[in-house]
Amino acid sequence: MGKHKLKVLLGATALAAVAGYASAAEFDGITLQAKLIGGQQYEGLYGRIAEWEAATGAKVDIISKKNHFELDKEFKSDLAAGTLGWCVGSNHSSFAAQYPNLYTDLTPYLTKEEIAAYVPANIAASRIGDALVMLPRAQFDVSVLYYLKSVYEDADNQAAYKAKTGRDLAPPDTWEEYKEQAIFFADPPNFYGTQYAGKDEAIVGRYYEMVVAEGGQLFNDDWSPAFNSDAGKRALQWFVDLYEAGAVPPGTTSYLWDDLGQGFASGTIALNLDWPGWAGFFNDPDSSKAAGNVGVKVQPAGSSGKRTGWSGHHGFSVTETCENKEAAASLVKWLTNEDSQKLESAGGSLPTRTAVWEYVLETAQSDPYRAEAIAAFQAGAGHAFPAPQTPEWIEATNLIYPELQAAILGDKTVDEALADAAEAVDEMMQENGVY
Amino acid sequence: MSRFRPPAWFVLLLPAIIILAAVVLVPLILSFYSSFTPYKLTRPETLYKWIGTFNYEKAMKSAHFWAAFGRTVLLLTIALNLEMLMGLGLALLVNKVTYGQRALRTIMMFPMMFSPVLVGFQFKFIFNDNVGLVNNALQSLGLTDRAIPWLVDGQLAFIAILTAEMWSATSVFAILILAGLFAVPRDPIEAAKVDGCTPWQSFRHITLPYVMPFIYIALAIRSLDVARAYDIVQIMTNGGPARRTELLWTLIGRTGYVDAKMGYANAMGYISIFLAIIFTVYFFRKLNAARSELGMAG
Repeated sequence: MGKHKLKVLLGATALAAVAGYASAAEFDGITLQAKLIGGQQYEGLYGRIAEWEAATGAKVDIISKKNHFELDKEFKSDLAAGTLGWCVGSNHSSFAAQYPNLYTDLTPYLTKEEIAAYVPANIAASRIGDALVMLPRAQFDVSVLYYLKSVYEDADNQAAYKAKTGRDLAPPDTWEEYKEQAIFFADPPNFYGTQYAGKDEAIVGRYYEMVVAEGGQLFNDDWSPAFNSDAGKRALQWFVDLYEAGAVPPGTTSYLWDDLGQGFASGTIALNLDWPGWAGFFNDPDSSKAAGNVGVKVQPAGSSGKRTGWSGHHGFSVTETCENKEAAASLVKWLTNEDSQKLESAGGSLPTRTAVWEYVLETAQSDPYRAEAIAAFQAGAGHAFPAPQTPEWIEATNLIYPELQAAILGDKTVDEALADAAEAVDEMMQENGVY
Repeated sequence: MSRFRPPAWFVLLLPAIIILAAVVLVPLILSFYSSFTPYKLTRPETLYKWIGTFNYEKAMKSAHFWAAFGRTVLLLTIALNLEMLMGLGLALLVNKVTYGQRALRTIMMFPMMFSPVLVGFQFKFIFNDNVGLVNNALQSLGLTDRAIPWLVDGQLAFIAILTAEMWSATSVFAILILAGLFAVPRDPIEAAKVDGCTPWQSFRHITLPYVMPFIYIALAIRSLDVARAYDIVQIMTNGGPARRTELLWTLIGRTGYVDAKMGYANAMGYISIFLAIIFTVYFFRKLNAARSELGMAG
């Protein structure tokens, strides 16, 4: 009996060794070229590539490392020039729809169980039509409300707000209340109630989620513009009112994410709708004057009762022209597997696998601030929706944002700005043959 | 049967012709051709669809295009003239210095060493309304108690961009004009002094005519190279907000690379080039006419 057991054990060990050897040689001699997003918060994960190389025998040659806007330009140049010899590329749900033919469908390389391990909403946003064009990494983004606790704890503020509105001062749950409080807190040029991204895709994304929260849509089903509506006007009016009241810094129309993050960290902004990547930064005394004073809450709701939730996530894709799709898909799986996602989400970013969400919540319990932030983001993720999935999205944002700015700065009325933007988008969609 | 033998001059020039054709002619013809197509970078097949002058008509009818065109001409005119005047002043001052002139010349070249992208970031921070140096200085000195939106107000943003551009490029003029000043012979100036000329008279009638060719060269070089300011504008305002600082460079750059509409971007580029050539010929003729009236032709 004992001998028999030993034999089985030996046999199993030998099998495992052979299997291990086989998998080590699986992609021997293959070199995959990759174009990946660069930046401090993204680099940690790339350390794991060496482990995948050791396990499979393949080599990864990172031939380009840039931010997404620069990568986007490079991908477009590659498509135009036909220089598509590389295999693995960083992708983003807001950009993916622009290159429908660049990336291959990953469905044949994954089992149903493997796909089911990702958060279903993230997988849905990783598809173009039926094709699964990327696997989501632990860089999921949805914005929630960060606020300075001190302005709510201040007795004078509480009394004055009660006298003014008849309500108790507490972090807002609706965008109407948010606006009211932002105007109430503002004391320019030293302190502002809030701020918002003021240009490029960023402001259009913010406007888009506000339109949805007001019960409207940015586009109709045929992709004709739908934002020149009552909901669209109410949404834009919100931005205009804050600007006119001096509740936001006057330069907010030129701000992008970094300016907003630095602004809130300077302790001169009371309320800030922002991304998960900033959670650690805001509460770190080395980087933020607001450290120890930051509260985090699920994002407010619009007049329709819906909450804002424009979201996006990073992912990895395999090109249609890749000669070793199997190896490339294996790398992409590796970079988004449970261990990879645990590693990345330890840095504060949000995972896209159900099991890793549970792990993150569990490990955050010892730190009250992190637990508060993770709970807010988990609640926020429940209301998330992706950017409009059309190749024309970025081009549409470039037509819409100058008009939004014109209304905010008073060059045009809300009605004029939205009418002009809708006309420009309609013309572009027709010219591009969308309808 | 005699074989065709190309003339020797042609054979000798052939390498140069091939290189020129490859790096200048081919891209030029390709981009000109693509301006008659709906060429989109993300859809390479659109390069083969001929749409005639559609892109040109669209640009000609676009108010945004003409506004950007006008703003670019204005920026170029003001920037080049101010840079030239300040560069001349700087060169004259440095020329007077007898001790430490080399160190000064080196320091003068510092702004040229910065890449335009860095200059853009630097001035974007300096003119930031909330945490920028200029506003903080003005507020600390008690000159204002509000945050001046330097990069938001159309005219202020124009001044901010102009300042960044002049900071980075004035020294180019100064260096070239200084080289001219070194070449001015001392004898006529000393003779003028002996004859009782005022410093202004000797500058106006002796130094300036000697330096003029250098100023022309500097102007020519800078007017060709001024589009490098694209990086500065792109970083500082990217043409915004609400198209208040939109220049041809930002408009064409965004259309071509962000919207991926290369055909339309090329059409806008070619309209600007043709107009620039027409303007240059017109002004050159005017200048020549003026010079011959003054008896300076030749």
